[in-house]
Amino acid sequence: MKKILIVNLTRFGDLLQTSPTIVGLRECHPDAEITVLVERNFADVARGLPAVDRVWELDLDHLGRLLVPGTGSGLRAAYAVVDETVARLRAECFDLALNYSSSRMSAVLLGMIGVADTRGWTMTADGHRLISHPWSRLFAASCLTRRQAPFNLVDYYKRVAGVAAGPRRLFFDVPDDARARAADVLAAGGLGTGEPLVAFQLGASRPVRRWPAAHFVALGRALHARIGARLLLCGGGGDRTLAEEIAAALGPLAIDVCGRTSIAELGALLARADVLVTGDTGPMHMAVAVGTPVVALFFGPALPADTGPYAADHVCLHADVPCAPCDHNVTCLEPFCRDTLAPEAVADAVVARRDGDWAALEAAARRWPAFTWYRTAFDAEGLADLAPLGGRPPARREQLRRACRALWKSVLEATPVGTGSTPLAAEAAIVAQVVRLADDGVARARDVEACACAGSVDLGALEDAARRLEEVDAALFRLGAMHEPAALLLQVHRFEKENIEGDDVVALARASVRLHEELGRRARLFVGLLDPPAARPPAEVEGERHASCG
Amino acid sequence: MRAAVAAAASSDGRSAVLARGMLPAAGGAGMGSWLEENLRALAARDATLAREVGAAAPLADEPVASAAGPPTLTADGVLLHSTHDPVREADRWAAAARDELARRAPATPVVLGFALGHHVEALARLWDGPLRVVEPDRRLWRTALAARDLRAVVARTTPVVAPPPAEVLDAWGPVVLLPHAPSVLREGPALREPGERIVARAALRSLRLRILVVSPLAGGSHPLARYCARALGELGHEATVLDLAPFAGGMEAIPALTPRKGPRRVVEEAYMRFLGTGVLAAVDAAQPDVVLALAQAPLDATTLAEIGRRGVVRAFWFVEDHRVLPYWRDVAAGYDHFFAIQDGAFLDDVARAGAGRAAYLPCGADPTEHRPVVLPAAERAELAAPVAFVGAGYRNRRIAFRSLLDLGLKIWGTEWGGAGQVEAALQRNGARISTEDCVRIFAATRVNLNLHSSTYVDGVEPRGDFVNPRTFEIAAAGAFQLVDERALLPPLLEPGVDVATFTDTAELRDRVRHFLAHPDERAAFADAGRRRVLAEHTYRHRMERLLETVCARDAERFLARPRAETIGDAARADGDSPLGRLLGTLPPQTPFTLDGVVQSLLHREGDLSDPEAILLFLHQFDELYVREHRA
Repeated sequence: MKKILIVNLTRFGDLLQTSPTIVGLRECHPDAEITVLVERNFADVARGLPAVDRVWELDLDHLGRLLVPGTGSGLRAAYAVVDETVARLRAECFDLALNYSSSRMSAVLLGMIGVADTRGWTMTADGHRLISHPWSRLFAASCLTRRQAPFNLVDYYKRVAGVAAGPRRLFFDVPDDARARAADVLAAGGLGTGEPLVAFQLGASRPVRRWPAAHFVALGRALHARIGARLLLCGGGGDRTLAEEIAAALGPLAIDVCGRTSIAELGALLARADVLVTGDTGPMHMAVAVGTPVVALFFGPALPADTGPYAADHVCLHADVPCAPCDHNVTCLEPFCRDTLAPEAVADAVVARRDGDWAALEAAARRWPAFTWYRTAFDAEGLADLAPLGGRPPARREQLRRACRALWKSVLEATPVGTGSTPLAAEAAIVAQVVRLADDGVARARDVEACACAGSVDLGALEDAARRLEEVDAALFRLGAMHEPAALLLQVHRFEKENIEGDDVVALARASVRLHEELGRRARLFVGLLDPPAARPPAEVEGERHASCG
Repeated sequence: MRAAVAAAASSDGRSAVLARGMLPAAGGAGMGSWLEENLRALAARDATLAREVGAAAPLADEPVASAAGPPTLTADGVLLHSTHDPVREADRWAAAARDELARRAPATPVVLGFALGHHVEALARLWDGPLRVVEPDRRLWRTALAARDLRAVVARTTPVVAPPPAEVLDAWGPVVLLPHAPSVLREGPALREPGERIVARAALRSLRLRILVVSPLAGGSHPLARYCARALGELGHEATVLDLAPFAGGMEAIPALTPRKGPRRVVEEAYMRFLGTGVLAAVDAAQPDVVLALAQAPLDATTLAEIGRRGVVRAFWFVEDHRVLPYWRDVAAGYDHFFAIQDGAFLDDVARAGAGRAAYLPCGADPTEHRPVVLPAAERAELAAPVAFVGAGYRNRRIAFRSLLDLGLKIWGTEWGGAGQVEAALQRNGARISTEDCVRIFAATRVNLNLHSSTYVDGVEPRGDFVNPRTFEIAAAGAFQLVDERALLPPLLEPGVDVATFTDTAELRDRVRHFLAHPDERAAFADAGRRRVLAEHTYRHRMERLLETVCARDAERFLARPRAETIGDAARADGDSPLGRLLGTLPPQTPFTLDGVVQSLLHREGDLSDPEAILLFLHQFDELYVREHRA
């Protein structure tokens, strides 16, 4: 392996979440040249990632400006930019391309670059989407069925790259000059040596992901009262109004750096903080990368199992209200979930986490049961996990998610499945329908194969058999759309079907047989996880009932 | 006249004239016989015109010698050439014309007006290419050809007496109109209009206009929006219908708010303003070159002014009786082009009311919808009738049709409630009849009645002028109709040849009985009517005429307007590059936008080429990041 291309055209946090994979790749391929293709605005983040040899900047803002007129010379210029970029990327002759941007746009780009070993979203020669790695398919499917999110994003990244054993933390190298500037800023703010500093990340990508200003003010006052903390207000330029409001309320307690720092300076400032209180944001991952404990507030569309801090011993507070998580495409008109996370409770979490007092965190979790408390951890297989705090039994939805996680660990990593403790019989009954339909699909796919293999192909019979197979697939997809427990299983199956390529009907039919067999196998496994025989209450035996009646 | 020319030739002017070869060479025709020589030259160019000119009487006004010698002419009070020196004057005109031609090269000159030909002759000396001269006045030709030796001029000139057909114009290429101002002053529209039509047609060859057709909420003119858009599309333009029918319910519901007329009117006007705002939004979205509003489209003066401010040409087709619906006075000034189904003094009134231009444009038929149909037996059982009428129950129809009740009359359509005995003939409880069903009814009826509506006469409107759409629609459907006589009918469909007519209610019954008894005559009328309508009176013909009229004034404006680049333009611009080669394989008229290109690519099969993939990438990028910003 000589040349590796990593494409991540998403944002700040996602890039930091790529860092364990890059470090893992360096460990596995010490001589390889690792190139990271990023959007120009986040190039500084990529430069702070260790083990990156080259940062390839794509100026999407410029491309967008060229396209604004929608036609004419702008369109031609944009065409020329992409043409030239693709030609240069092709000329690099990468051995491996990892696409961590789940978008059709990136798929087309990867298809054009044409690296033989491309993993993640790419495009077939005839222009169809191809998701080329089983972990990528699972990730793409879990984006559409988010409640069951079985794994942390970073674990997908690592496994797609084949570096499952890579580091269990994030990385960002803070340059010395940034540390010096951060120290100056804090000194100018009057922060004394050893004085407790709690950072607040105020903003988020969308309003629904922001904790209310009044809550931050209340939290700041409580933290100052309890541990004498100063408050570092962080955020982007768009959060200035919010920061000014909070700074005005907190007065000299606050050090307002919102919108006034570079990425590297933010890293340096967070490194100095005792704890960061944040939503699911890029700075959350930055704090993890620089080793600062995080108390992360998850509400709205954010899910701790999905994008929570990737390192052990951070705290996630999840407002897992019945409607959570919000669909990314909706605008909630009453985000009451934000208020579920009371400032006093968050203060308890911050103080206990600062002190590393996990018993106090357990006690706080019991004291504040309106939301779910988690401690980040890793399971026996090295996958990021969430350990519940407060000793509450997991909710039914969390049980389903855990069963789902066990299923996919077994399917993708051959991890032996344990046995669930509480039967989820209703969910199992739904997945049992998948079993029946999958078996039916196997039989019908074999019919297609038989028709196609016959000495003289009866086209009418072949079409009829293909139509009957399509009916089963339609029934499966309908089942997935209607019932959450079957959704992820069937969405992965759907992506796998998309990946079947070729024009040979026999080969296609055989691939379809295999896919339906595999679906049936997974569904049976899932049924066993959801409703293990050992956990079932003993069924009445018909004969015995008769006997007693007699 | 001869004496005057002879006098000129004998004066100092003679040498100048000789220098330009105006006098016959030795052995040539004498002064009195130029007509025959010139006609022979003309016959070589256009034998028909030569015959017509030969048969025409000369103008009452005769040429006289100018001070410089060559003849000049004052016709109908307009001096056509200089009395001092027509040749020098013509040279100046020709020099200016040459400059104009050079500025707009490559272009074909079309001279408007021949007069005595001095200016044409001067231009022929400066211009080597073909010369076309529009001059429909045969009497003027006769006078000019008799006045002087024009053989050389005629040999260089293609005379044009009417706008030539499209295929001829195609051969001409771009056109520059060179008006001879005195001729235009003298002949007026008779000369100006053919010239403008030539320019318009020439411009239309290279124009693909974007036209937004605004429908009314409901009523008889509503389907015309569809017909017009279809016809405009057939003519190669990008026409879309802004169909306001979904808003008709709102207007109909307003009376439920209040029984009082005054407040109701306030609400109705507010509703119309609301719709006008909606139309404006649609105009902003579509960015058309032309807005074509059908009668009763909800465009008030304010909305029209806003549309005009956007540089959009506003055309209106008022397919209504101006006497019944006088609202046209309120909106006429808002239109650049006002088309009406009535002509004469009404068009002058429209012009006085402020419309940019007013023109007569009769209704027509849409052959895709108005066509002969063969009915299944079950449908025929319901629809067949000896005599039938499809339409609304206006007063004159209620009265006139009483006399036909014993002839098996069927009536289809709305607004027949309270029609007394006639209501007994009403079908489907007076439900609205769709266009499809209209055509079926026409086919199933032996004698289709067509009585133009009137709210105040008992039968046939004595002052009736315009021809309703039904006349053309029944004919296009290949069905037989009896239509009341209308002043504007004969030039369109000749009574007694293309269509059977009646003059009053008393005659109606006799004519119906007659035609019921004579199926051969019915068939002959139906056949003749259909042929005439298809040849001359489809909406395609109407829209062609409408666009010619619009372009006669606004072609320059359309040509000057920045136009969206098409894939064809882009393919030419990109030449032999990979992108250019790909674009060269896509529909050339499609806009050169990512949507346009990618839509064209979707139908392709096989592996993507690099240019295709790059455009697909940009399209995805555009959808993700740019589109919202652009909007």
